[in-house]
Amino acid sequence: MSGSLHSLARAIETGDVAELPSRHDEDWRWTDLAGLIRQLPQPSAEIEGDLGKGPFDDLVGHTVRIPNGRLSSVIAMTGADSCLAVRVVGRGAGAHASHPKLHVDGPFTLLESYEGEGAYVSETRLRLDIRSGGDLRRIVLCDEPADAVSVIGADVTLAPGARFSQTVIAAGARRQRIETHLAHGGGGAAARLDGVYLLAERRHADITTVVSHSEPGGFTDQLTKGVVRDQARGVFQGRIVVAQGADQSNANMGHHALILSERAEVDAKPELEIFADDVACAHGNTVGALDEEALFYAGQRGIPETEARAILTEAFVGEVVDRIEHDGAREVVRAWVAARLRSAAADV
Amino acid sequence: MPAARQTIEHVETLERYKHGFVTDIDQEFAPKGLSEETVRYISAQKGEPGWMLEWRLGAFERWRALEEPVWARVKFPRIDYQDAHYYAAPKTKAAPKSLDEVDPELLATYEKLGIPLNEQAVLAGVEGAPKYAVDAVFDSVSVVTTFKAKLAEVGVIFCSMSEAIREHGELVRRYLGTVVPVSDNFFACLNSAVFSDGSFVYVPPGVRCPMELSTYFRINAAGAGQFERTLIIADRGAYVSYLEGCTAPMRDENQLHAAVVELVALDDAEIKYSTVQNWYPGDAEGRGGIYNFVTKRADCRGDRSKVSWTQVETGSAITWKYPSCVLRGEGSQGEFYSIAITNNRQQADTGTKMIHLGANTRSRIISKGISAGHSSNTYRGLVSAHPKAKGARNFTQCDSLLIGKHCAAHTTPYIEARNGSARFEHEATTTKLSEEQLFYAMQRGLSEEEAVQLLVNGFVKDVLQELPMEFAVEAQKLVAISLEGSVG
Repeated sequence: MSGSLHSLARAIETGDVAELPSRHDEDWRWTDLAGLIRQLPQPSAEIEGDLGKGPFDDLVGHTVRIPNGRLSSVIAMTGADSCLAVRVVGRGAGAHASHPKLHVDGPFTLLESYEGEGAYVSETRLRLDIRSGGDLRRIVLCDEPADAVSVIGADVTLAPGARFSQTVIAAGARRQRIETHLAHGGGGAAARLDGVYLLAERRHADITTVVSHSEPGGFTDQLTKGVVRDQARGVFQGRIVVAQGADQSNANMGHHALILSERAEVDAKPELEIFADDVACAHGNTVGALDEEALFYAGQRGIPETEARAILTEAFVGEVVDRIEHDGAREVVRAWVAARLRSAAADV
Repeated sequence: MPAARQTIEHVETLERYKHGFVTDIDQEFAPKGLSEETVRYISAQKGEPGWMLEWRLGAFERWRALEEPVWARVKFPRIDYQDAHYYAAPKTKAAPKSLDEVDPELLATYEKLGIPLNEQAVLAGVEGAPKYAVDAVFDSVSVVTTFKAKLAEVGVIFCSMSEAIREHGELVRRYLGTVVPVSDNFFACLNSAVFSDGSFVYVPPGVRCPMELSTYFRINAAGAGQFERTLIIADRGAYVSYLEGCTAPMRDENQLHAAVVELVALDDAEIKYSTVQNWYPGDAEGRGGIYNFVTKRADCRGDRSKVSWTQVETGSAITWKYPSCVLRGEGSQGEFYSIAITNNRQQADTGTKMIHLGANTRSRIISKGISAGHSSNTYRGLVSAHPKAKGARNFTQCDSLLIGKHCAAHTTPYIEARNGSARFEHEATTTKLSEEQLFYAMQRGLSEEEAVQLLVNGFVKDVLQELPMEFAVEAQKLVAISLEGSVG
């Protein structure tokens, strides 16, 4: 499904670096793991002691914890309007992988967070099965340490008529890749896949999505925004595939990035692969600096430049944050984004 | 319904591919197969100096170590490189001094293709004789180049590549392979070893080339590939507009056309390069047709230089090419305007690369892809800004239009921004023809076919208007013919 035969999870499981995706795998050209990892670390040990508090703990009654890839219970999400937090915590310098599975057949909110400390190497790959009548809202906050290498994958199947909306917020890591593969069921099913990346220092984040419309009448809406500074590198790869016969598919993809330093980099590949004729698909991509005119305007109004830059950057990213449907999660994310942008601005 | 009947008759009488005839002419071939001997044979046939042979042999050595690339979104059976003639030329006297010495059969061929080789007619102002200079390449050799003397008056060199290697060795040696290095890619490397003919243009400093230059490529021989090599140099402050056209006979076999085109623009120079590509596309079932695997690249070496690529791609069974600009000079500009039309079983994977290396470089990409029948049409492009390309700007628009249930349209843009002052904008859409617009046009009395043509012409208008006048009209007709039978 990933379009590449190589995977970090398999490399971790077998200990064989030849299994690592490299820049020769088209889908990994900007996130080369084979060139980075010469030898896989030992398997991660169990985490001893308290995991502390997660960012979404106050919003939910129950939190599932996955420390160093160890999954203690099967995650089941059924029943009435409910909300679950999943904390994936990595610690140490070992390698670990996990493969949680979830079924969703009602309205549900999944609040995922990825946190930890150390130079761990990990892959977490979720299977999300959104059945008929299901409506999953997924918020993924990836706040990992600067030395970690992490792949966070989700294989999502969306039944006809079901709904899925996701917002990924990425702070980057040594290498951090968040990929979502969505098998779109059509029949009025609607998907929204959003993303935000805020990168500083030498952090790297890669947001990759593949949406496959195989049945008629599916909707997809994507908006990803990124801010990079210092020597950070942001990658966005979005692919929308409309199979033959998947008519009346409607897909929109937008990716917009701000580069706030001379040495930061943004790479983007928004792809459309269309095999049906009765479709309306579009993508837009922009990369650039902050609007000088808006800065000038703010200066005219007496706002100091640092302040003005922070306000404009927050507004730029805010468009994505505003689309989060879960009130509590939206405010957690908004505060996280503001703190991150302000602290980065204060460093300048 | 006289209008409807007229349309049906019109469609029936129209030849699908009117350039599909074969010229029956005595030709000499290199023996089938590819070896060091073949390379030596080609070089000897052309009476080349030693350095050129060395260059070719070096390229052949490297080619043998290369693998054929497979990343493009095109499917075709593996090519047997030993099963083709790498050189085919009409048996004729060496270097005809004037048109009178050229084989009348060849002249008739070009007349049939509508290519004006008769300078007299042009100079005498014969009605309909367009005034542009032509280099006519027939299989592996250039048969004639017109207006050479007139162009020489202002210092412009326009001749076949073979002649340039003999007569202007120093210029060729200085620039050949500097834009597309020998081992750039598999097909460019093959071309470097076995290239036969193509055009050479040098425009001296400050000269605005007084007429359009063009090369007309014709594949005629069966079982032969064509490997042309074109090199255009616009010296400081020079300007040249160049157009290439190409056709081939209808055959059941696939023929390989692997060309390399290199453009060099020095300070303040401008090159406008237009292509109307109409190689035989194969029949409705996908039998036959040309494999058009071409490497085209421009080096905007000088400050404020500018290169503009315009292409109308309607032919070929498979098109695989990315005319690119390396924007090295400060303030240099690159443009790419493309119409790619695929019908029946045609496959196209085409686009451009804009590589921003210098400060304040600008580029613009307008690509219009149309797929019909069972065809597949991919736009693939790269826009990149180097850390030193401060203030680089790019605007890209690529739109795809789908006609019918069995075709495919893909958009694969790569954007790499490596500095904070680059500004890249990209937008793309994929849709089918608007039912409402079709309905409106048909309400006004147009047949469905005509309505589609009208809308398609509107869709590609932004690119057509970039073509030199004479060709814009031809290209517009070509667009209509290429889409024939795609409706209903």
